Amino acid sequence: MVWFKRRQFFVFLFIAVLAAYSMRLTEFDFSKFRDFENMADFLSKWFPMNTESLPYLFTESLLTISIAFLGSLFGLIIALPLSFLAARNTSGHRIIYAITRFYLSFLRSVPEFVFGLILLTTLGLGPFPAVIAIVLHNIGVLGKLISELIEAADNGPIEAMSAVGAKSWIGNLFAIIPQIWPNVLSQFFYRFEVAIRTSLILGLIGGGGIGQQLFIHFKTFQYQLVSVDVLLIMLMVILVDYIGGKIREKVI
Amino acid sequence: MIKFENVSVLYPGTEEPAIKNVSIGFEQGEFVCVLGRSGAGKSTFIRCINGLQPVSEGNVKWDGKSLSEMTPKENLEIRRKTGMIFQHFNLIPRMSVVQNILTGLFGYKKSYENLLGLFNPNERKSALEAIKQVELTVEPTRRVENLSGGQKQRVAIARALIQNPKVFLGDEPVASLDPGTAERIFTLLKETHIERNLVSIINVHDVVLAKKYATRIIAFKKGNLVFDDTPDKFDEKVYSEIYNH
Repeated sequence: MVWFKRRQFFVFLFIAVLAAYSMRLTEFDFSKFRDFENMADFLSKWFPMNTESLPYLFTESLLTISIAFLGSLFGLIIALPLSFLAARNTSGHRIIYAITRFYLSFLRSVPEFVFGLILLTTLGLGPFPAVIAIVLHNIGVLGKLISELIEAADNGPIEAMSAVGAKSWIGNLFAIIPQIWPNVLSQFFYRFEVAIRTSLILGLIGGGGIGQQLFIHFKTFQYQLVSVDVLLIMLMVILVDYIGGKIREKVI
Repeated sequence: MIKFENVSVLYPGTEEPAIKNVSIGFEQGEFVCVLGRSGAGKSTFIRCINGLQPVSEGNVKWDGKSLSEMTPKENLEIRRKTGMIFQHFNLIPRMSVVQNILTGLFGYKKSYENLLGLFNPNERKSALEAIKQVELTVEPTRRVENLSGGQKQRVAIARALIQNPKVFLGDEPVASLDPGTAERIFTLLKETHIERNLVSIINVHDVVLAKKYATRIIAFKKGNLVFDDTPDKFDEKVYSEIYNH
């Protein structure tokens, strides 16, 4: 046991106990798969796919992508400057750092679904409240992730900008953004992908898009349309992942 | 021109000052090499000159005025007048050679001009001239991370030159370069120094280089300034006093 210390053994034991306790709470039991046939029977109702509504569902998918895209893009645009205030090395003052961190934690802790429900009361049904809900949550998530990238950035270029007499915010911007940009893009595309899935959930509360269609098709037992919805969702996620990968490749 | 008056620097969380009670002055035209073991206080000393490192005690004066008494604007002015090069070049990655050189003008321009990259034709021309001056033979549009160590240091020197500096500071600028490249970089620094009549203060580990190029050598040992004289006075005895425990 050359590789392990005694302390690590206790950590491992603690994790194992925690996992066992969580399994008990969640009724985690593989023997329940004995009714697997029910699932197979249910899934068989999804086929053959009903492709008649494909053009309409395709339009709804575009709406979902638009919700996710705007939610991620505006989230990034707002999160980027905030993340400089939420990073220890660039915030300028401990109080600014603490306030910004708290604000980002608050936004992150409220699920998009809850933001969506609150926004419904003023914006009504439709995709707009869904976009705002995703923007708000993404500010919290991207702000935290980018601020951590800023803290881990190489200090050398920052020092060089300081040495040429650049104002500190200009120096920080030019010295840090190029360093973290590929990772920022990675985070953006990951959040875009997550936003697609989130916008499906927001469809349940009238956010529109393919999520709302999926919800309606489920409720009305139109499983042959559900399979089309799921296929389109999968294609969207794969497409975003592919485009994100290509763009990142180019940037690096 | 530059004067240290009883300067000490104590880093937070440490008990021993990085430099202790240093008093020294530098005049236009001097090419000074700073010697000493790693951790002797050379980098701290260099960084105090342009205020990158605030002093704990004493004063660093430029033309009779203390850095600590200067307004933020005056401090920026000092940094504008100081070209600084670093061991690890400190270039901005993912930006091109010419873009990196133009960042040397950031201290002279308004924030929105820097932000939008608004450089006039004369400034662009200066950047290209700086590339020529440092004998850099790569495409100006090439990204800096694709250059060799020697080429990167030439970009860093060009960035410092475009500032039109009165003072040149080097924090171990040749420490990560091979001996041949190090010699060529030092030749370039000395030629530029003479051509522009600068004050050059450069940290270096290589005593041979220091003796060959410097007009004055100073040396630190455990934060104390222990040698300050012409290169011919830096003999074996001084060497062993500084570099042996």
